[in-house]
Amino acid sequence: MDIEKYRKMFLSEAGEHLEKMAEQLVAVEADPQNSDGIDALFREAHSIKGMAATMGYDATARVSHRLEDELQNCREQGEVDSEMIDRLLTGVDLLESLLEDISEGRAERSVDDFINGVMLVEELEPIPEEDSCDLAGEGVLVRLRLADSVAAPGPRLLVLLTRMAEFGTVLEAKPSEEQLLQGEISRILLVRLATEASQEEIRQRLQCYRELNAIEFPVAVLEKDQQRKVSRKSGTTVRVDTDLLDRFINLTGELLTNRYQLQSAAGERNWREMNEGLSQLARLVKNLHHQVLQVRMMPLESITGRLPRAVRDLCRSSGKEVEFSVEGASIELDRAILEELADPLTHMIRNAIDHGIEQTGSVQIKSWRERDQVLIQVADDGRGIDPEKVRKRAIERNLISPAQAQVMRDYDVLQLICQPGFSTAEQVTETSGRGVGMDVVKTSVEKLGGVLLIDSTPGEGTRISLKLPLSVAIIRVLMIECAGCLLGIPITRVLQTVEISPKEVQTSGKQLVISLHGELLPLLSLRKILRQPKGPASNLLSLVVTEVFGRKVGLVIDRLVGQQEVFVQPLPSPFDRLRGNSGGAILGDGRILFLIDLQSMLEKRRTKGS
Amino acid sequence: MAKQVMIVDDALFMRSMLRDIFEAAGWQVVAEAENGQQAVELFAQHQPDLVTMDIVMPEMSGLDAMQKILSDYPEAKVVMCSALGQESMVMEAIKAGAKDFIVKPFQDEQVIDVVDRVCAA
Repeated sequence: MDIEKYRKMFLSEAGEHLEKMAEQLVAVEADPQNSDGIDALFREAHSIKGMAATMGYDATARVSHRLEDELQNCREQGEVDSEMIDRLLTGVDLLESLLEDISEGRAERSVDDFINGVMLVEELEPIPEEDSCDLAGEGVLVRLRLADSVAAPGPRLLVLLTRMAEFGTVLEAKPSEEQLLQGEISRILLVRLATEASQEEIRQRLQCYRELNAIEFPVAVLEKDQQRKVSRKSGTTVRVDTDLLDRFINLTGELLTNRYQLQSAAGERNWREMNEGLSQLARLVKNLHHQVLQVRMMPLESITGRLPRAVRDLCRSSGKEVEFSVEGASIELDRAILEELADPLTHMIRNAIDHGIEQTGSVQIKSWRERDQVLIQVADDGRGIDPEKVRKRAIERNLISPAQAQVMRDYDVLQLICQPGFSTAEQVTETSGRGVGMDVVKTSVEKLGGVLLIDSTPGEGTRISLKLPLSVAIIRVLMIECAGCLLGIPITRVLQTVEISPKEVQTSGKQLVISLHGELLPLLSLRKILRQPKGPASNLLSLVVTEVFGRKVGLVIDRLVGQQEVFVQPLPSPFDRLRGNSGGAILGDGRILFLIDLQSMLEKRRTKGS
Repeated sequence: MAKQVMIVDDALFMRSMLRDIFEAAGWQVVAEAENGQQAVELFAQHQPDLVTMDIVMPEMSGLDAMQKILSDYPEAKVVMCSALGQESMVMEAIKAGAKDFIVKPFQDEQVIDVVDRVCAA
């Protein structure tokens, strides 16, 4: 069996089972005699055990087996006491770490303590990767893992090491030949080879060694973070509904027919037929686009599933009582967005419990769809945020001037919480307030093309709303023109577009402002930001109202062109390093539309200026 | 043409068991030797495709016999037969040029797996 091929599948499935276990555990804790819950837990543990054993992941199999046994006891007793809940949670955590080991290609960590009933109080530190120091360097790295049933691992590794030398020169081996001869026992052999042979060749020629559990080619990347990111990205698999696949096949078939229709129409120069074919094509492509997006969609549930557990842990450590609920968990979003959203969401929940809720209260996540956007709201009924305190702090931190503070509306003041360096938490608590604040959350949301807004009433609670696009790849943009360039701004970032007469422009200090809906709006010139010469005087100014660093501004542009859905692609290196540019899209007529990100554009200017 | 093997072991029981395994898998057993000295002589006579070599034997040990064979026929393919607990000797043999090894007690498929891949290499 080619274990490697099944590994990803195993990881994704086992991960899902674990998530369900964590969810069920919280439900069972609330209702210890919930026999359906206990049964479900038992089944999940059982599934993991079966898969892990098949794959030869012994530690994982042992832990899940133990959980299964313990759940069987609970089943017979008809309830799960709180001590057992802790024990089961520890087991689930351990399994999670084991999956991580497997996913990163490490040997599974020791599980003896757990099996022997020792409670693991602290979160398990990941064991140092046995070969981390060896990863960087020249040559091909090959890691061979022996099956546990191999009788004489030492001689077996020596044979394999000798065999590896046939592919080229062994630059380094762990354990080395000497270490093996001295009796060092290992079931893993890591070899760095200088070889002409491809990974596939090596794999194929080693395939005949049934003693091998896995043949792996660890990737050497210098930056650990990067490595983690890459492995996480490449490790993601999607399970697709067969119905959806059928629809793809049907669409492909229709596209083929359409192609012949167009071909024959072109041959006959039959314009009527041609037009019909083209409108047919437009319909098919739109349909296909829609279906492809479906594949990328996942329910919000996939990231909120873990939250009840986090809330439970937080309540335990803070001694607060919090009722947590999620509404609209079935709303679907692009998986890329969900992945980025998981941490910010957890952070917001932590904030709510840590700073919002006083002793008892409720925290609620609500989600719903509004046209092509998804709204997610995190609300608590805690002490709320006092805008006066925020004003004071913002002035202290030089985020706004006392004069600005006076004219700013409470609502706008609240948004200042998301400014870097702002924190109202008087003392640093264990959970939140460790330097990572709302600014990080807001930045993540904005990176996804979303918007974050805070609303709060002192004494009644706080509500944070996220507005997110459904998909990151295909988004609706506002196209604008500036100094002869066509540029795009994600529509989610646009609050409003207006055209005003130059006469409406006033000055406030050095700043040009206009009054819009009774609010003073500072004006920024895109030409100036892009260091383009001033445009010709015009009797109409086009403005895009957007938000920068939590404040509304009016961006002066040459002309509003229109809206369009575009497929955004990241720019290739080195253009991806241009700040202020968040990607490009090819328009129907072949022109390239660059997407601008005003905030990062201004950040660059800010740092340059200082 | 069937592959030819020579079985070297001081125990008749082991030799006949191996013979059965090889013959069932379509190999031709061209010679059996019960000690190292005999193994060296019979190898020169038959030059089989493969030799299974017990390690602990009277007269001349399997290790010495293999080294003698390899010095005359560097291309010879020798697979060591060992019992559990002889790891260090097996490793010495591998270092000296043995292609692979099998551990007693063995199963039929294991033996054939090992010798097949040694011959294929």
